[in-house]
Amino acid sequence: MIVDKIKKREPTAKQIDNKVDIQVSKWVKCDICKEIIYKETVRSNYGICPNCGSYFRMHINKRIESIIDEGTYKRFDLDIETTNPLGLEDYPKKLKGLRERTGIYEAVGCGTGKINGEEVVICVMDSGFLMGSMGIVVGEKITYSIEKAIELKLPIIIFTTSGGARMQEGIVSLMQMAKTTSAISKLNKAGLLYISVLTDPTYGGVTASFASLADIILAEPKAMIGFAGKRVIEQTIGENLPEEFQTSEFLLEHGFIDKIVERKDLKNTISELIKLNK
Amino acid sequence: MGPKKEASGEAIASSMLRMANLKVPVISIVIGEGSSGGALAIGLGNKVLMLENAIYSILSPEGYASILWKDSSRAKEAAEKMKLTAKDLYEMKIIDKIIKEPEGDKNESFLEVAKSLKKEIKAFVKEFKNMSEEEIVENRYQKFRNMGEFEILNKQEDEKC
Repeated sequence: MIVDKIKKREPTAKQIDNKVDIQVSKWVKCDICKEIIYKETVRSNYGICPNCGSYFRMHINKRIESIIDEGTYKRFDLDIETTNPLGLEDYPKKLKGLRERTGIYEAVGCGTGKINGEEVVICVMDSGFLMGSMGIVVGEKITYSIEKAIELKLPIIIFTTSGGARMQEGIVSLMQMAKTTSAISKLNKAGLLYISVLTDPTYGGVTASFASLADIILAEPKAMIGFAGKRVIEQTIGENLPEEFQTSEFLLEHGFIDKIVERKDLKNTISELIKLNK
Repeated sequence: MGPKKEASGEAIASSMLRMANLKVPVISIVIGEGSSGGALAIGLGNKVLMLENAIYSILSPEGYASILWKDSSRAKEAAEKMKLTAKDLYEMKIIDKIIKEPEGDKNESFLEVAKSLKKEIKAFVKEFKNMSEEEIVENRYQKFRNMGEFEILNKQEDEKC
């Protein structure tokens, strides 16, 4: 009886949810200029604020859509789950909730596809999933993708966005830096092209491993990129750092990245680079 | 130009990449507090050893508590959860061997530890002596390649990620 009552009540709750959802989801607020914008306008504008030009963070699916030729993306058959090495109680629950909320399975999606006709292996990280942090699953998927690129003799493109190693998996997350880096070393020996595209924000263990080791390192404008956060460094060294510190523009000036590319030009730039490196 | 200030991320990545490529056998020994990318940057050994009372972790317990719970004063609790002791790490197959340390902190203790280390290093050199350069690099690759156990899931519904 009680079950029946719950069942009856369920749709009502959902209906209310949906109503709210429709009202809220049509509009989005820009973090930088605080302007309220019609979501569709942002979407059709490569996820860029039409008012101030700042970049919204991008969902995996949207990124793939914007880079990979339609109908050519094929995700790797690699469906794996962390073993929760620290045995944290609330961690599996958190992952489950995130999966439902974000519609993605982990902080990185990997597969093959074509960029203006050029076949590549592509990995796309998503900061919407536990801040894009790298644990066992992300480390394994990136490593697997690099090995696949070697096997298929294809260039590999990795879009990074991450807070760093995933704290919830402790030292095993740290070891994913060693694992992905070792795979890059094999890729180098195979002489295949690797392009990383650093997007906002790229930090910690991801910066300190595969993101920084590409043959060509691209970045989106005004992306924040670093190892430790600016505030942490200022507190550690007891000095104030310049305003533009850790932006892609600052890093370009200091030689850590090769080129800043506007979002709308990324697809063509990457395919041009692949053609040049053939 | 201090490393922290400018490019420690790139420096750690490059150091690991170089280590992954070394054609000679490498042994890394954690002798005190090893944490984060700085420790790992020199930690890509064919064998990784650890003194019994050393710690090796993703981050300092203070930093860990501050990131996970936004409260660095919960460092003690973090240290208990993080599995950073030699015993924990051996069980997790992150390290290969624990070097025993004598009870108490005396001058002689160091000599005893040094003796054990000498013995381990000798055995290590002997073990890898007859390996080719490729075998040594591949041995190191497989060691880190297999870090982090995972479970295979049923097929995902979402085809895109």
